[in-house]
Amino acid sequence: MAALRYAGVSVGYDRTPVLTHVDLELRAGQRLILVGPNGAGKSTLIKSVLGLVPVLAGEATVLGESPAAARGRAGYVPQIDTLDADFPVSVRQVVMMGRYRRIGWWRPARPADRRAVAEALELVGLADRAGHRFGTLSGGQRQRVLLARAIAAEPRLLLLDEPFNGVDAVSQEAIVRVLRELSAAGTALVLSTHDLTVARELADLVCLVNGRQWAVGTPGETLTAGKLRSAYGGGLVLVAP
Amino acid sequence: MNWWDDALHRATAEVVLAGALAGLVGVQVVLRRLSFFTMALTHATFPGVVAASIIGVNILLGGVVAGGIVALGVAALTRRRGQDASAATGVLLSAGFALGATLVATQSGFSRDLSSFLVGSILTVGPQDLVTTAVALVVVALVLLAGARPLQLIAFDRAGAEAAGVPVARWDIVLLLTLEVVVVTMVPAVGTILAVSLIVAPAAAARLWTDRLWPMTALSVALAVGSGLAGLWVSSRWNVAAGASISLVATALLACSWLAARIRLLPARLAAA
Repeated sequence: MAALRYAGVSVGYDRTPVLTHVDLELRAGQRLILVGPNGAGKSTLIKSVLGLVPVLAGEATVLGESPAAARGRAGYVPQIDTLDADFPVSVRQVVMMGRYRRIGWWRPARPADRRAVAEALELVGLADRAGHRFGTLSGGQRQRVLLARAIAAEPRLLLLDEPFNGVDAVSQEAIVRVLRELSAAGTALVLSTHDLTVARELADLVCLVNGRQWAVGTPGETLTAGKLRSAYGGGLVLVAP
Repeated sequence: MNWWDDALHRATAEVVLAGALAGLVGVQVVLRRLSFFTMALTHATFPGVVAASIIGVNILLGGVVAGGIVALGVAALTRRRGQDASAATGVLLSAGFALGATLVATQSGFSRDLSSFLVGSILTVGPQDLVTTAVALVVVALVLLAGARPLQLIAFDRAGAEAAGVPVARWDIVLLLTLEVVVVTMVPAVGTILAVSLIVAPAAAARLWTDRLWPMTALSVALAVGSGLAGLWVSSRWNVAAGASISLVATALLACSWLAARIRLLPARLAAA
């Protein structure tokens, strides 16, 4: 079963499409990278998979169901600047939020949940920061905490919105390593980025978008000068990798 | 003579209950940055309370209905993209107050009661008010406890909460209505207008002392109850209005906490310099 299948899909708000002509199929363990300029519709596409933005046309299947029916089953790592950095919450508590759906909203955490939290923090290399307040960490470390939170939920499909924005080299390396481990373990990954170097390095599939889907395929097929120029509208200056 | 027959005893019990109520909900108000919204809510509650007392129905009911309309109105406005919530909230704030003042002006001989709606009249609190406040305290505490995880997740990471399947809009409404119940319940103790300071100041002060949610909640309740008791004592000692002195004590506690936090940070700054 495909983790994600979009056929001729348009997504958008208030019946106004933001992104059209999306045709994708993602299997377990594959890494799909959404590439496109700001405002291209990458975040909107991710939100449509999460069931938060309506599918206006076409057929969308997420983990075998409609996006709305699958809501809550796919993992999500939001952009860090959408979070309240002043909130009084420790790193450990943030990662525990990933377990809430399994624990239930009212039951106390069990030893298995604490173990999952500790293991997720270990995986992203922040076990020593568990007791720190989330807001005291650097941008890259916060991003890793959010990744740990998503991992603690053990999703089969994980979506990350610009996980490398405002992230230092050490954290970026840690995130890339963890993402490789997750997909090796069978998790399907979707992430958006501006960074073509990361896209080339990490992607099984690249989806080039800007208002519509311009290309989908392996990095070699999609990240070509011609296709990038057509998607970016000619304003892109390519630097050799 | 029964202990409850003494007006000051009843007033003491009322400030303890109302303080606990304010301290509890105040944590949500401060963490969600709803202080300005709370201000509007209190002003919108005022005409509801006045109208209810003119018609002769329970003022609690009138206040909850009026505040509920405003709460849902602001919630609806903020859900429409491109709407400036603070503009809508600000207009509702003064419109609510104006409506209340107009309603009061239509009634002759109403002026004494006006101030009791605005700033409370704790010494006239009756057993019925105490029961109402106690029931509200239990209900609000249960709602906030039951909603602790979803409310925490929504406040910290709204997009993440939505993605995790939390019914965010429903919890927003629950929180706004809870806040409204607290404001209305506090009318006899501190009035509609002064309720804001007892809700916001203790929680904001508590936030300065701790980075953890549960200690912050406990401290917020303790500071609010303390403000209530100290304000009541100041009021009876120097014969000044109780609602006003409670608000001033709460404000003073916040100012002192802020100063203490600055001083605590000072050594680190000097070392860095």
